[in-house]
Amino acid sequence: MAADPVALPAALRPQPLVIGEVTPGVLDDQVLSHTETRPPLKWFVAVTFTSMIATLGLALLGYTVYQGIGIWGNNRPVFWAFDIINFVFWVGIGHAGTLISAILFLFRQRWRNAIARFAEAMTIFAVMCASIFPAIHVGRPWLDFWLFPLPNQRGMWPNFRSPLIWDVFAVNTYFAVSAMFWYLGLLPDLASLRERARHPLRRAAFTILSLGWRGTAAHWRHFEKAYLLLAGLATGLVLSVHSVVSFDFATSIVPGWHMTIFPPYFVAGAIFAGFAMVIMVLIVVRESMNLKHLITERHLDVMNKVLLAMACLMGYSYMMEGFTAWYSMNPYLHHVFTQYFFGSYGWAGWVTVTCNVFLPQILWWPRARRSYPLMILVSLGVTVGMWMERFVIIVISLHQDYLPSSWHLYRPTLVDFGILLGTFGIFFTLVLLFARLLPVIATSEMKMDLPGAQPTHAGATHV
Amino acid sequence: MSERAFAVVGLFDSPDALLRAVAPIRAASLGRVEAYTPYPVHGLATSLGLKRSPVGGMVLVMALLGAATALGFQWWVAAVDYPITTGGKAFFSWEAFVPVMFEVMVAFATFTAGLAMLLLLNRLPFFGHPMLGSSVMAAVTRDRLALAIEKDGDVELDATNARAALEAAGAQSIEVVALPAPSQPASARTLGWMLGGIAAACLTSGFLTYWVVKLFPVLPPMVHMLQQPRINPQSQNGFFADGRTQRLPVAGTVARGYLPYAVANADEADRLVNPLPRSAEVLARGRRAYSTFCSVCHGPLATGVGTLSSAYGAKPANLQSQTFRDYSDGHIYDVIMRGKNAMPSYAEDLSEDERWAVIHYLRALQRAQNAKQEDLR
Repeated sequence: MAADPVALPAALRPQPLVIGEVTPGVLDDQVLSHTETRPPLKWFVAVTFTSMIATLGLALLGYTVYQGIGIWGNNRPVFWAFDIINFVFWVGIGHAGTLISAILFLFRQRWRNAIARFAEAMTIFAVMCASIFPAIHVGRPWLDFWLFPLPNQRGMWPNFRSPLIWDVFAVNTYFAVSAMFWYLGLLPDLASLRERARHPLRRAAFTILSLGWRGTAAHWRHFEKAYLLLAGLATGLVLSVHSVVSFDFATSIVPGWHMTIFPPYFVAGAIFAGFAMVIMVLIVVRESMNLKHLITERHLDVMNKVLLAMACLMGYSYMMEGFTAWYSMNPYLHHVFTQYFFGSYGWAGWVTVTCNVFLPQILWWPRARRSYPLMILVSLGVTVGMWMERFVIIVISLHQDYLPSSWHLYRPTLVDFGILLGTFGIFFTLVLLFARLLPVIATSEMKMDLPGAQPTHAGATHV
Repeated sequence: MSERAFAVVGLFDSPDALLRAVAPIRAASLGRVEAYTPYPVHGLATSLGLKRSPVGGMVLVMALLGAATALGFQWWVAAVDYPITTGGKAFFSWEAFVPVMFEVMVAFATFTAGLAMLLLLNRLPFFGHPMLGSSVMAAVTRDRLALAIEKDGDVELDATNARAALEAAGAQSIEVVALPAPSQPASARTLGWMLGGIAAACLTSGFLTYWVVKLFPVLPPMVHMLQQPRINPQSQNGFFADGRTQRLPVAGTVARGYLPYAVANADEADRLVNPLPRSAEVLARGRRAYSTFCSVCHGPLATGVGTLSSAYGAKPANLQSQTFRDYSDGHIYDVIMRGKNAMPSYAEDLSEDERWAVIHYLRALQRAQNAKQEDLR
């Protein structure tokens, strides 16, 4: 950029990504020092609480494995219930992280640097929570390896025409790619931690974790190229994963599932739910770790705008679903769609629409996008609403199938609720551990965009 | 300078100063020129003369390979090794294989991008680089930018000239990274400890495995499917007075295909007629039954020399002899049903059709062993 700024209106001028004077050294001290000091008491209180909930969940998972899935509320014809709802819910939460780290990277949205690391970590943890459910839902989890195309003495192979096996591939690839993307981004920061470490054990640990990263020009050249490629690959992947999840439903002939709008509708919903979760966690991180000048109000403002845009997309999707039901002239579809809002579980449909479409509309108001209570209200609402949306799609569509004699009201058991709660415990325990063990902000990416970090392009040697 | 230098490093505060220094230092050609930065600096790699990263090409090749592998594997599974019709689709219904193909392609591409970058191009993990232990590393992973003149191969680094060149190029401060002492071969003592340690680990794990296997009984895992609230057939049960779980069939029940044998003696049996045609299937069936039940004593050629005859000391009939060739079909049937001399009844082992098929097959064997001239035509 030339020394003389082009005369742009104030609203279009690029705004600084951080508030105040931040130098690379200061950034390191502020971000990396959290991993080097003793966590405050409130962190211990929080992690005790979440790990208790996680333990409850793990105990109930163990009980499920021991006793069998008969202890859940699932019964014909509602064979898919909390297990699949929670799976779709958690995979969806993960999508925000990949969107922020990959898609916004490709669009050169530099503000994403401050929140990308955290969102990526949340992706990994969310996918971990999600993968629990298909694993236990099969009933005999010790035979889960049957899901993979392994040569076996039974001479059998999985059916590759089934969306369920596509799901296995999609979720596993998604987890592996997210983990790879996250770890590569961590490497330079791990090298910084290695050099800051005082204790020889800590230094040894970070030497191994950083793989001996030195930050030479050649390192960075290959690194940047690989990171760009990974971003491109993850972008395609994030669109594919929830599309494949939606195929589990869309390729069946259940009324309410058999719809072509499902893949984009699911992807939009996933990003929507994920952003709500990221906003909630980000507020806690920003406040408790003194990072207000790095994760600024502008970040929250932009995130809320994304949330608002996604809420409108969801509203459009719901309307299209209704339109498809009406226009199909299919009496079964008419019936199911009526059940969504006026049946035994009709309240679920109204909760979904209220939380996902109506409530986020307050974000049109600029002050709501910067107000904690309203932001948290909307994000909580979206989290609840998106979970209810999957309940509507799965349980309501299933509970009244083609044969009225097999209609059945689904009632979840306490174990169902306990496992759902337990995954929240697992998720937040991992998030809390991550916040104190690894840098929550990608410092090398932040440093790259600090004022004065790049050559002014006036130097004669710069080709 | 007393100790030999691996590198002379000039530290810079601004990227402009670093980039300005690159050209004169490269021109001085005092050693390998390397830059260390805490974040990627635009234009640095180009001015250092580094080539474009080949990661892109590698990823493209591996992505295509991944897609081809996945499609090929699915084709092989669905159309070759385990062809099962699903939903009335063709065995190679490639449209359904696209999602897995895409996922495997992305997985291949991702691991290529990450691992090729780390392992092949950047030669990581590597913990022995002399720069790693130096104080320069702490600065360049934090906020300083460094340009280093490093020892190039076996050529000794001229530290004094390198220092002068970096000073002239505008470095704010200069540090010298010493060449690490050449590593010594491990001493006998160290080797002894290492080998002893490995041996101790092997012994410990061996004994542990032994005791674990010995002391802990092998528990049947997850037997809920077996332990169901049901009563197994052939088991004892107090519900009925006779203690049996299963009810006996009604008296006089006859199993299908097992009508009682109503022929009084062999003469009466002579009148029985073989009901089966002499077709290839019947002969194949007869051959199968004959090989299973008859040939162990009567032998594969019905000559009375079977694998079991010597073991029992019995002398099974040579069915090729004139006596037995003259037997009527019904007579042989009667022998199968009742047994003869040491031969027990085979009524329980052969079904009605099998008995007659065996007889057809035996006739074929007899004719084959006593073939006439016209049979050869």
